[in-house]
Amino acid sequence: MRPRILLLLLLSALSSMAQDSTQFRSDMDEVVITATRSARKLSNVAVPTALIGRKRIEQSGSLRLNDILAEQTGLFITQRFGKGVQMQGLNPDYTLILINGEPMIGRMSGVLDLSRISVGNISKVEIVKGPSSSLYGSEALAGVINIITEQPSADKLSATLRYGRFNTLDGSINGSFKRGKSSGSGFLNSNSSDGYSLLPFSAQKTVEPFRRFTQQYQAAYDISPKTRLSAMVRYHHENIRNSIAVSNLGQTILSYGREVNQDLNVNPVLAHRFNSKLKTSLRGYYTSFASEQQLDVKDQAGTYDDRFRQRFFRLENQTDITLGDAMSVNVGGGYIMENVRSNRYDTLGSVRTNTIGYLFLQHEWKPVQSLTLITGLRYDANRNYASVWSPKLALRYALSSRLALTGSVGRGFKAPDFRQLYLNFTNVAAGSYSVFGSLSARDEVERLRAAGQIDYLTPSYGKLQDLSPETSTGSNLGLQYQWKPGWSLKLNAFRNDVNHLIITDIIAYKKNGGQVFSYLNVSRAFTQGLEAEAAMAQGRFTYSLGYQFLVTADKDVLAQIRAGNVFTRDELTGASRRLQRHEYAGLPNRSGHMANAKLFYASKDARWQGSLRLLYQSRWGVNDVDGNGVINDNVTAEFARGFAQANLSAGRTFSKGLSVMIGVDNLFNYKDPVNLPGNPGRNGYVTVKYDLIHKHKP
Amino acid sequence: MNRGNMKDLMKAMTISAAAILIFAACSKDENGGTGIQPLTVRTAKDIIADTIIGFSSTGQPVGTGKFTFYSLENNAIVPSADSNSGKWDLAFRGTTILTNSGASGPGNGGAFVYVGTFGELGSVPADSVFRTDLSPSNLAIPLGSNRGWYIYNPTANLITPIPGRVIVVRTAAGKYAKLEILNYYKGGVTPDASAPDIVKLREQRYYTFRYVWQPNGTNRFP
Repeated sequence: MRPRILLLLLLSALSSMAQDSTQFRSDMDEVVITATRSARKLSNVAVPTALIGRKRIEQSGSLRLNDILAEQTGLFITQRFGKGVQMQGLNPDYTLILINGEPMIGRMSGVLDLSRISVGNISKVEIVKGPSSSLYGSEALAGVINIITEQPSADKLSATLRYGRFNTLDGSINGSFKRGKSSGSGFLNSNSSDGYSLLPFSAQKTVEPFRRFTQQYQAAYDISPKTRLSAMVRYHHENIRNSIAVSNLGQTILSYGREVNQDLNVNPVLAHRFNSKLKTSLRGYYTSFASEQQLDVKDQAGTYDDRFRQRFFRLENQTDITLGDAMSVNVGGGYIMENVRSNRYDTLGSVRTNTIGYLFLQHEWKPVQSLTLITGLRYDANRNYASVWSPKLALRYALSSRLALTGSVGRGFKAPDFRQLYLNFTNVAAGSYSVFGSLSARDEVERLRAAGQIDYLTPSYGKLQDLSPETSTGSNLGLQYQWKPGWSLKLNAFRNDVNHLIITDIIAYKKNGGQVFSYLNVSRAFTQGLEAEAAMAQGRFTYSLGYQFLVTADKDVLAQIRAGNVFTRDELTGASRRLQRHEYAGLPNRSGHMANAKLFYASKDARWQGSLRLLYQSRWGVNDVDGNGVINDNVTAEFARGFAQANLSAGRTFSKGLSVMIGVDNLFNYKDPVNLPGNPGRNGYVTVKYDLIHKHKP
Repeated sequence: MNRGNMKDLMKAMTISAAAILIFAACSKDENGGTGIQPLTVRTAKDIIADTIIGFSSTGQPVGTGKFTFYSLENNAIVPSADSNSGKWDLAFRGTTILTNSGASGPGNGGAFVYVGTFGELGSVPADSVFRTDLSPSNLAIPLGSNRGWYIYNPTANLITPIPGRVIVVRTAAGKYAKLEILNYYKGGVTPDASAPDIVKLREQRYYTFRYVWQPNGTNRFP
């Protein structure tokens, strides 16, 4: 067994396709690598980890990463600056997104748009919840989502075409080969749509027409039975039409243009196994993200041109040492060089750079067979801001072969990003507000003041200082019960205390009424809750239920409420009264209750398959209406309505590699144009897949 | 009830109202004294504060630029011809509120913003400092979002009075009043956040407020 596990380690991941024939194999038997940076059975990890396999992604009819994540317990898809994912009640900024273990970059206002990622060649998605900075460093504050693409393993070639509402067309070609010591794969995906309008008579579409194109190539060569060289190259290009109607002070200004985003990821890896107890890998990674927005304002000369280019280079080594039967150690370190050029910060010619050196160490110990104890520590030395230590402690105790308890405590952090340090942006079109990064804010305000443009400074101006990383301490306490294969129950209680949160605050007002914003490390918050998941496999059916209960609060707001300084209005009389603690609904954009119920069917010969997925989320705060700056329960208008959504799919596989699937998302046709612009209502589609070469049985 | 009874009733009410005023004015009792009767809470609705009549060439909404002058004693608008007199206590233009003091008028006015509820403000706290209007940009009631009485939400493009803010006013005549602004939109109803901008602009600059005016010169609001 051991050599096989080691092989898995070397490959980083193995396609789960080979396992599909075992029809009701439990997820709990699957191997995951993200939780500990080493292969472990899902049922044996000590931190909350979820796994989405290839088959589930296909049965759910997902196209982009956000589609499949939206159906997972406890994940909330946010819809500003693209589709982001909120985990354990923490904003998209705080979840690290990895592709084959390497970080994705290119965040807009902290959000990494998940719709940039096609799921067409993903073999599995691993989701680790809770702070994981002890292994992954910055951004792994709420957790980590690792997208693992299909590794070249056998000769295959398939083509997929899907057509759906709004002229949405998604086509993929996916192939791989293996010849002796060499293997390779290629993936091409085109994804386009005409977009749609949810608001009638609106001058702009809710979602504008877009076209995305992804290419990914992987190759591996076994230099010797113990040494493997592999490489991955991915390139994504998206072109979004942009027509913006800014209604400013009674006048509507129309602008037309386009937005082009490009990602490039290059990842060569050299892995060597010295013996059964020692192996190492050297990983190089280069990624870039370029975004360009051009807008021509109607009846005005000149083009608004916004360019952003981020580059990230990393070299990393990880060495895994097995010490006897009871102990193993993972030790690693790396160097990161990152830079950004943007005309939002300065001229395009000037480059903003950060470098990070880091070391991490993880020790796993089984003092007795039923107890696993994991300690981890990472040190990140940053050039631009304070260095950070990130410890973690996790344990798993098996009370019996069926029942296990897990517990973990860890620290997470997120370094201030380039935007928070250097942004220099003035929106002339809408209200002439300005946003300045913390490093330039004082100088810029002084420059405006010298020009006689500043009306007054707010108290927040006096609090401006060098930004330090945002930090959190997170705890998870869980229970796993598996009474037979495919039947399991998982509970997890979590609490995250986040400090030094960076918020955007008004530091000054301009004489023309415009506001000047900058970034301050001032806020403290907590999120806590309970997550429950049950899975059952019965005959040809697989059922699952998931639920998350969430409570959040800004701790400074709580202190103000306790001190009696926060008020609300009686909705009938308009009279002010003190806000009660229980009326405070916590941080905005969070549902207190989220639930899902899923049913998957596959016929015995695997020719027929189907799924029904029900998703629910309770209301979430969107806007302060009563003027107190917080979301409170007594004012209904401060919330977006809760809703339920049903997604259906059914498919048939014919002989000779042809399969057809039809599906309907959002069967009840639920729409909320203001709060859910990404939800177009009922959406039907047809997918046809053809396996030209396939070595597995049909 | 016949006409005679009605008359008697009116008479009795007038007498008792006068008695209340006299008692209230004469009483030197501390809180809870039997002689103190609560002062009337008065309401002013849809006080127009230079509503928007058009847009400037740069798209800025504009009004006539004139203030609406208001007497708390009479609970009525004062003609702008009397702007240079002690007949008005507060003046409204957009979100700007003047007191009859300093740079704004010849009166002995002033104000400050108290954090708390209207009901619990039984008297002007002993350590209070009344501010006056020093210049058009430095007023007793501070200008700007989240500084004085209102907060502007740029996402919704709406102006909302901050709950728990009471404007404590010294009138032109040096008497005291407490005032809570309830709404800034026509009919006392803030448009929905999803309403078109043109509605939000058309319906704004209509003040609804409630206040208690203490005629007897003390700074208590029983």
